[in-house]
Amino acid sequence: MPHPASSQAPGVRIDGLTVVYKTPAGELPAVRDVSLTLEPGTITGIVGESGSGKSTLALSLLNAVQPPGRIAAGSVEIDGLGDVVGLSGERLRKARGAHIGYVFQAAQNSLNPLKTVGKQLLDLGRSHGVDDLRGLVREARELLGRMGLDGARVLDSHQHELSGGMRQRVGIMLALVLNAHVVVLDEPTTALDMITQANILKIVREVHAERGLTTLVITHDIGVVAEVADRLAVMYGGRLVEQGPTREVLGAPRHPYTRGLIQAIPRLVGDIDEARALPGRPPTLATVPTAGCVFRERCALRMDVCETDDPAAVAHGTRIVACHAVKVREHA
Amino acid sequence: MTIIARRLAGHLARGLVMILVVATISFFIVNNIPGDPMAARYEKLIEQGMSPEAAAQGVKVLYGFLPTGTLWEQYTDYMSGLVRLDLGVSVSRPGTPVLDVLGEATKWTVLPVLAGTLLSFLVGIVLGVYAAIKRTGKLGDALAISGSLLHGIPQYVLAMLLVVIFATLIPILPADGPVDILFEPGFNAGYIGSLVEHAVLPVATYALSAYGGWILAMKSSVVTVLGDDFILAAELRGMKRSIIFRYIARNAILPLFTILALSLGLLLGGAVFIEKIFNYPGLGLLLINSINDRDYALMGGAFLLITVAVIVANIVADLFYTVIDPRVRSGEEAR
Repeated sequence: MPHPASSQAPGVRIDGLTVVYKTPAGELPAVRDVSLTLEPGTITGIVGESGSGKSTLALSLLNAVQPPGRIAAGSVEIDGLGDVVGLSGERLRKARGAHIGYVFQAAQNSLNPLKTVGKQLLDLGRSHGVDDLRGLVREARELLGRMGLDGARVLDSHQHELSGGMRQRVGIMLALVLNAHVVVLDEPTTALDMITQANILKIVREVHAERGLTTLVITHDIGVVAEVADRLAVMYGGRLVEQGPTREVLGAPRHPYTRGLIQAIPRLVGDIDEARALPGRPPTLATVPTAGCVFRERCALRMDVCETDDPAAVAHGTRIVACHAVKVREHA
Repeated sequence: MTIIARRLAGHLARGLVMILVVATISFFIVNNIPGDPMAARYEKLIEQGMSPEAAAQGVKVLYGFLPTGTLWEQYTDYMSGLVRLDLGVSVSRPGTPVLDVLGEATKWTVLPVLAGTLLSFLVGIVLGVYAAIKRTGKLGDALAISGSLLHGIPQYVLAMLLVVIFATLIPILPADGPVDILFEPGFNAGYIGSLVEHAVLPVATYALSAYGGWILAMKSSVVTVLGDDFILAAELRGMKRSIIFRYIARNAILPLFTILALSLGLLLGGAVFIEKIFNYPGLGLLLINSINDRDYALMGGAFLLITVAVIVANIVADLFYTVIDPRVRSGEEAR
């Protein structure tokens, strides 16, 4: 099956997305007013700590936020599919898998433990009305072979017979085998050893280029983003605080949180004390401020305006930053 | 298939050892129970004015033998009999081999308990899935409460309740006995109809008292599986609901097979109260009567039969797992 060129890769436009979770204290936002564009054929990385809302954002791309959460506002426009937030029922089910592939964290058991990979592949094919199941199996075998696995053997295996790296490649295969062109990878290398990590990232990069995909990588590991992503978005407390081309953001971070994150990474050479941890803790759903800047509690550049006004995301060329202090400096 | 054969061989060997150990223990325990029916009979004959020789002769005529050997000799005798499936002769029913008595009683226990257990299993499993899926709604609450309630009521209370309602207040079913003696035993409508009629209340008691356990176990198992990542993964891959439902059901039912196999193993001995209340001539009633009659051979035989049933049920459960759960299967097969 010939793969469409990268010019056919769909674009994804997330606009004003807000996702709330129902708690005893009312509905609290895990993702608040996030706008992000995934350019066709690019890899975008989202970095954030646990609880920053990055996984919730990832699930929103498939309109799959789990109860008690729900998408309260905003839209997710995908070329060739329309606004995913408006989809429901059979149309939503068919969009998942066929248009948008989702790859789980390797440590998570994303396969039915009682069935072989091959049988689950057939279940997937039947779910999406694939007539040529032989062709589907052939495609799966090719994909697995492309990722350095013995396709026939893997299809004949159960989940417990596969290593973490193998499972992750099976996850990528299942996300792509129906020819989805938007792919979301949630912590693709977490819980894998360094060599397997490097391997998986190489595969992500190559498959992305070969098949002409639009890819979103969610991670807490800046190293992963630096390795694969064209663009980088930094999430904190449910907000996107900074985004831009990966090299520029990592080379010259503007938002104080991004700067703190990069400073916290220990280097292989040089004094270990040069790495400085960010003071304080990330907010949880219950403690995230409802007014003002979400990061002000831990911010060295805190000003009075941060207490009351939520900084707007302001574009500076290819970079977008949401910080009062950055705005002041730019204009000074 | 060789793995299953090897497993089976191992299980049978272990099972055999267990049976021998249990037979030994129950032999000595039963032997140490105070009271001796032969001595009682002997003394009664003496009291009636017989000479010791005549009294001993009378006992021997009744039971067919006189106990003379040492404990060790009795034990080896018993065990060598076991190997030939000879469990001895019943004392309370002189002249009848224990095996025959057990066989007759087993017939009356197995069918009703099997029917009751399987019925409650099927109903409990299906309703348990609903209780799990609707666990936040009223239907789920109602099902869970019905489960807890029936699980909490003792079997014998339930049995008496059913007798009061369906045999006394609304007398539509017979209160006790296995069958009406009016009918000619055999394959005729009247006899079979009477059998079924008499079995309804005991079976209903087994089913109702076991149902609560099944629904609660299945509910919690389904809730666990619903939280598993692979269910969300299947959903995010756009799998059909019917396929996801099968994934959930098959994974959730797995741990329940252990309980099912064990309760089927226990079914031979677990019916004591119900058979007593319904005067049903099964193994439970037989066990009570054999204890009352101090019929050691019968007692030992009944204990042994229950042991064998439990061990066989365990072996069946384990082999069944190698068939339905690939993770168990490949424990010995992998690479």
